[in-house]
Amino acid sequence: MGKVKREISDSKLAFILLLPSGLLILMLIGYPMLSNFYISFFEQPINPNLPADFIGFQNFTETLTDPEFYKSLGLTLLYTVLVVAGSTYLGLYVAILFNRPFRFRKLARSLIILSYVTPSISLIFGWKYMFNNGYGIINYIGRDVLHIFDTPPLWFDDPTSSFVLVVLFAIWRYFPYAFIAFLAILQTISPTLYEAAEMDGANIWQKFKVVTLPAIMPVMMTVITLRTIWMFYMFEDVYLLTNKVNVLGIYLYETAFAFNDLGKASAISVLLFLIICTLIIVIRKRVDLNASS
Amino acid sequence: MPAVSMRTTKRVKRAFFYLGMLVILGICLFPFFIMLMTSFKSSREAIATNPTFLPKDWTLQHFVDIFNPSIFPYLTYLQNSFMVSLTASTISVGFAIFGAYALSRLNFRGRLQINASFYTVYMFSGILLIVPLFKIISGLGLYDTRTSLIIVMIVQTLPTAILMLNSYFETIPKDLEEAAKIDGLNRVKIIFYIIIPLSFAGIVSVFVYCFMVAWNDFLFASIFFSSSENFTLPVGLYSLFSTPDYIWGRMMAASIVTALPVVIMYAISESLIKGNVTDGGVKG
Repeated sequence: MGKVKREISDSKLAFILLLPSGLLILMLIGYPMLSNFYISFFEQPINPNLPADFIGFQNFTETLTDPEFYKSLGLTLLYTVLVVAGSTYLGLYVAILFNRPFRFRKLARSLIILSYVTPSISLIFGWKYMFNNGYGIINYIGRDVLHIFDTPPLWFDDPTSSFVLVVLFAIWRYFPYAFIAFLAILQTISPTLYEAAEMDGANIWQKFKVVTLPAIMPVMMTVITLRTIWMFYMFEDVYLLTNKVNVLGIYLYETAFAFNDLGKASAISVLLFLIICTLIIVIRKRVDLNASS
Repeated sequence: MPAVSMRTTKRVKRAFFYLGMLVILGICLFPFFIMLMTSFKSSREAIATNPTFLPKDWTLQHFVDIFNPSIFPYLTYLQNSFMVSLTASTISVGFAIFGAYALSRLNFRGRLQINASFYTVYMFSGILLIVPLFKIISGLGLYDTRTSLIIVMIVQTLPTAILMLNSYFETIPKDLEEAAKIDGLNRVKIIFYIIIPLSFAGIVSVFVYCFMVAWNDFLFASIFFSSSENFTLPVGLYSLFSTPDYIWGRMMAASIVTALPVVIMYAISESLIKGNVTDGGVKG
């Protein structure tokens, strides 16, 4: 009797407790996502009080026949793959290095995650200054001290060097995220497992493959999946660093607020969403296959 | 192998280890070092063609200048950022505590579905929502108000805040609650007297996460604001980038002061969590 009564009041209480969050999320994430699908069929003026014209699939055909879209898609995929691979690998490598006692370990750990904690806007000014064409320290070191190049690249004013820098920036900024996650899981692996593997005559690589890798696999998958989503949608870092690397986030932003084509921007949003869903499914499938083989 | 040479190999190994550590730290910290040194350089020295690592003449002038409203609008941006970030993260954490409590402790239908749906929110990143949210905000007459950014920052941080708090609440033993119930505490009192004090460190780190998201946001601030008296730090500082009287030392000083609040908050939240500092789920 008493138990039944409590369960009823539980769901009432749960409803009340979840109401503010649920309402806000439905209104400002759920509804907007659905309305993207709706807006994408209209020629939508920037002034919300003006009427929108229904134009069918025109926004989609316009996007899908725009060579700039495919260029941007290719660039974004390359950017995502390079940054996810680079930051995950570096994060794992540094975490393995840290997974032993040494002096100043805590201090070193705090210093490593500094780039991850600092706001992008601050870091961007630092990088822009370092890679300044006229008086940047990188040009000075590369040209006058180490003589790596005679005429330095134009850095953030050239598409290729901008792309390289934007990738390096993201790896540098985001590898600490992987590092923190990997270090936490590495510390849970019992040393006796390594000792047992050693007794069986395993070398470093075999120990990594047999003991470390299976233990960190779930964390690695989460890190890779989330980082893929975040990098694929990246806007701020790239936009603030350079106007030479037109990733999809920037393509979408500029379609909406530089060309004021809100309908087409919605169509792009819908396409990006479908692409990321497919990407996630592919990543998950890959893992399942790996796990079973 | 003789003991002496084994000790030497051990030493060499350790030397290599520390050397590697220094290289990694050097790469990680180099941009910070340059920023800090530039903020102490005179404006002329900052644009010298053969730059030096250390300033020839140290000056604190840039740090004084950024707080002088007659030459640099930094204080306005700083105040706006604090206002938006504090309000948004306080409300977000408040809602998240209740939501996460319901999800981790109460039995009700649809609990698992709601829980799972929070994970999918990662796929609806902010950039996908710019058009509809812009429409909604201007439709509500909130365009160019700081309220618009506060509302959107609450929603952008809520799902993650709930997920993080949910995993913190799971670590609190259920027996404690049962004991409290026998002592006559109702659910709401349990939240305030048991759950919140016991997960204080977790709540602080979720607050810091929300604060950081709002503090760093450039995307929505750049869409919602048109007048510079509403600008938060990221849009404000970015808008100064193209002005002719752009002074590197001053921008570096501003960048450092902008980073300080979140870096300090992050350090505090880490020091609160004992032992394993890294659990508590996913963060941006």
